[in-house]
Amino acid sequence: MMARVISACGGTGGFIGACLMFLLIVDALAAPWVAPFDPLKVDMLNALSPPDAAHLFGTDQNGRDVLSRVIWGGRASLEVSALAVLIGGCGGVGLGLLAGFFSGGWLEQSLMRVLDAMASIPLLIWAIALVGILGVGSVHIAGFTFGNEVKLLALLGVLYIPTLARITYTTALGEAGANYVAARRLQGVSGLRIMLSDVLPNCLSPVIVQATLLLAIGIVIEASVSFVGLGVQPPWPSWGNMLADARNYLFSGEWWLSVFPGACISLSVVAINLLGDGLRDALDPRHSTSALTA
Amino acid sequence: MTDQDLLRVEGLHVGFRAGDQMRDVVRGVDLRVKPGEVVGLVGESGSGKSITALAVMRLLPPGAAITSGRVTFRGRDLMEANNSEMNRLRGGEIGMIFQDPLTALNPALPIGRQLGDAIRAHQSVSWRQAQTRAEELLALVGIPFPKERLRAYPHELSGGMRQRVMIALAVSSNPSLLIADEPTTALDVTVQAQVMELIDRIRNEFGIAVLFISHNLELVAEIADRVTVMYAGRVVESGGVETLFATPNHPYTRQLIRCVPRLDGGRGAMPTIPGLPPRIGSLPSGCPFAPRCEVAEPRCSAEDPPMRWRGEQMAACFLAAS
Amino acid sequence: MGGMLARRAGFSLLSLLLVSACLFLLTRAIPDSPGRIVLGQDATEDQVAQFERDHGLDRSVGVQYARWVSGIVLHGDLGRSFITGRSVGDEIAKTLPVTFELVVVAFVFACVFSLAAGTASALLRDTVVDYGVRLVAVLGVSVPGFWLALILIMAFAVDREWFPPGGFTPLSAGFLAHLDSIVLPTFCLGIFYMAVLSRMTRSSLLDVLGQDYMRTARATGLARWRVLIYALRNALVPVVTIAGMSFGYMFGWALIIEAVFNINGLSRALLTAIQQRDFALVQGVVMVFTFVFILANLAADIANAWLNPRIAMAAA
Repeated sequence: MMARVISACGGTGGFIGACLMFLLIVDALAAPWVAPFDPLKVDMLNALSPPDAAHLFGTDQNGRDVLSRVIWGGRASLEVSALAVLIGGCGGVGLGLLAGFFSGGWLEQSLMRVLDAMASIPLLIWAIALVGILGVGSVHIAGFTFGNEVKLLALLGVLYIPTLARITYTTALGEAGANYVAARRLQGVSGLRIMLSDVLPNCLSPVIVQATLLLAIGIVIEASVSFVGLGVQPPWPSWGNMLADARNYLFSGEWWLSVFPGACISLSVVAINLLGDGLRDALDPRHSTSALTA
Repeated sequence: MTDQDLLRVEGLHVGFRAGDQMRDVVRGVDLRVKPGEVVGLVGESGSGKSITALAVMRLLPPGAAITSGRVTFRGRDLMEANNSEMNRLRGGEIGMIFQDPLTALNPALPIGRQLGDAIRAHQSVSWRQAQTRAEELLALVGIPFPKERLRAYPHELSGGMRQRVMIALAVSSNPSLLIADEPTTALDVTVQAQVMELIDRIRNEFGIAVLFISHNLELVAEIADRVTVMYAGRVVESGGVETLFATPNHPYTRQLIRCVPRLDGGRGAMPTIPGLPPRIGSLPSGCPFAPRCEVAEPRCSAEDPPMRWRGEQMAACFLAAS
Repeated sequence: MGGMLARRAGFSLLSLLLVSACLFLLTRAIPDSPGRIVLGQDATEDQVAQFERDHGLDRSVGVQYARWVSGIVLHGDLGRSFITGRSVGDEIAKTLPVTFELVVVAFVFACVFSLAAGTASALLRDTVVDYGVRLVAVLGVSVPGFWLALILIMAFAVDREWFPPGGFTPLSAGFLAHLDSIVLPTFCLGIFYMAVLSRMTRSSLLDVLGQDYMRTARATGLARWRVLIYALRNALVPVVTIAGMSFGYMFGWALIIEAVFNINGLSRALLTAIQQRDFALVQGVVMVFTFVFILANLAADIANAWLNPRIAMAAA
């Protein structure tokens, strides 16, 4: 049974990645119950104390428990990157599918042009610039208040659409000309039905592989944007803004402020990459040249 | 075997790595080529003929290696040769052409460049001299407008022209031996004839010996002086081309010849050899052809058949006349 | 081939226009008018309106955009900042060289090392060298550059003082001092792409080495180094494409690295502009970044066309 799970993940590497991912997801969902302390609770008496039995990762400049903040930070990172991938995935797959399946029409042409234009945008610059222009602050929608990072995740999601749309489009284009599609058409099945029930599943595997790469990049982008102050706003923790605080304490030797949040970012990225590589081997033995870039 | 032999292969075993072991796909092959003669190496796919040729050139793919045997060229033991000595031989004294001209030429470089590099690898001439020689070679192999063609890329040429370029590449430094591994298999029949004619012409004009490898009996019969027949990694018969085709001494050769359609043959179903050649993993003991042989006896599967000689002709069969 | 490049260039220009229009629209679409931002909440409506008239902000968006574009095309003028009154072009020109140098050095470092590592890894497949390179590559891809920067600063600049912990010493202050100040930033900037490119080089080269034409090259008796060149001419094509994109992306990540090391590059300009709500400058900087990105991709296409004309012809 174990062997089956391991091979489903595409090998030992993929399995390790999947386990780590699982931990990350648990961390994100169960943060309020898993974190030992309130991440916002200030306790100046205990400020900047090194790791010990009570505070496994030490405390920061406001006496807040670093471990709890790291746990909540993971939640923020995963929330931003996962939702961004979701948005990008829905939009990208939808558009790519339509353009590839009903190819030759105006949709395909205009989509390709827009995709090419958007592809000339360096992701991080735009994320920073656009969030910067919109301004930093909470977002109020329909009576709910969301943190600033919602802007980031929405923007990232939109910026992810071109890559995912392109992959879906290429696959859908190939599939649309396939014999089984023609056969289904002859059976009288509507184009839309064929597109959704037959072509879509085939497009999913390369999309899933790319989505894991974007998930990894998303975590690093969220951390980077929070690092420069445009992401998750203090006092709420993000691995990025924790590193920004840690920067002030490089010279005074409070190493635990930089090491733990950064190590978590690295571990998450390693986990996602391992899982992605494993999935790529499991779903599609032919190697694609989609590299890890941002 | 005389000392005049250009190429001598004795007891060659070549294996592929499978897990921890080596599985031999060439199992004790003897071969010789004299200067200026054409030796045909015939066999089905998987018989090991191409691997034998690659072993001679020490161009085996990763995972494959010579497990035992000797290969001598002009009296020099090639097993002892280091990489730079082999490089001098390859393309210099022994030229090789391969089956698929489409994939066998570097798509990124114009053919003039590839020819020039090949020439300068073995002759110390200037680039300009090399290009002149390249042009001569192209003319020699019958490519029209050779000077313009030097700038062409492989994908701009037809299949037949590409194979001619390959031949030009292989003979660019006047080798004494040309190994042709299925040179016409990937070509149309009409182009096939042209390429065969070219090989014949080169052989006659320059006295180059040829090791002609093919699964096509008719082509081999056209061009070869002597023929060696391989099956499942072993030599089953060898001899002069006329005697071999007139009086084949091994059941496999006989059945092979029978399968070749003849203009004067009767109508009706074409004969085939029933069954399939053995897979590497499941090589039978004794004679490898026994399972498919019409005249097999029990001892054929029990022991390895002896080599029976009848004059210059050899057949590895218990039932061969000697 | 020249025709194909002209088409790509034209297309890139179109992308640039589209992107700039998008940006322009956005900056004009936010609720707070620039006038309000500059003059503050206490200013009267009249004062805001006057400000807008002075800066041509009262015209329609289309007209503003047209003026901005014509300014760039005809005068090379990226406009004027509303906040500081200084020319956007000047501000950028002050800080661009620093960022540019960082990116170029990091890029060269990444390319040289990844080519060497990827090639060695492919040629010495499944040996210690191969495993070592692949391990470093996985780490390089996963460890975020700015965190690596913090760790390295702690390790080398604080404890050991081998390198300065930040700041940018210009060339004028001495070559060695300058070099000292850019080692850590460029290393942290380039390591990610070094990892990516070495993985790509390795897999592409392995692919090519198994091709028939490589066997022909060896059968022709070519020297080993020439055989490698024959392989690289084909293997490097996808790598060059990604490298071109990487150069553009590096400009983005330079932002973060500059923030860690306190370097006054383009990123500093951008972040300050964002803080001050100076949209003209934001716009100008983003356009510069996008322009560099497009140029880098074009350069990669040209390099590929030289490397392997068949691919270039096929892609046309």
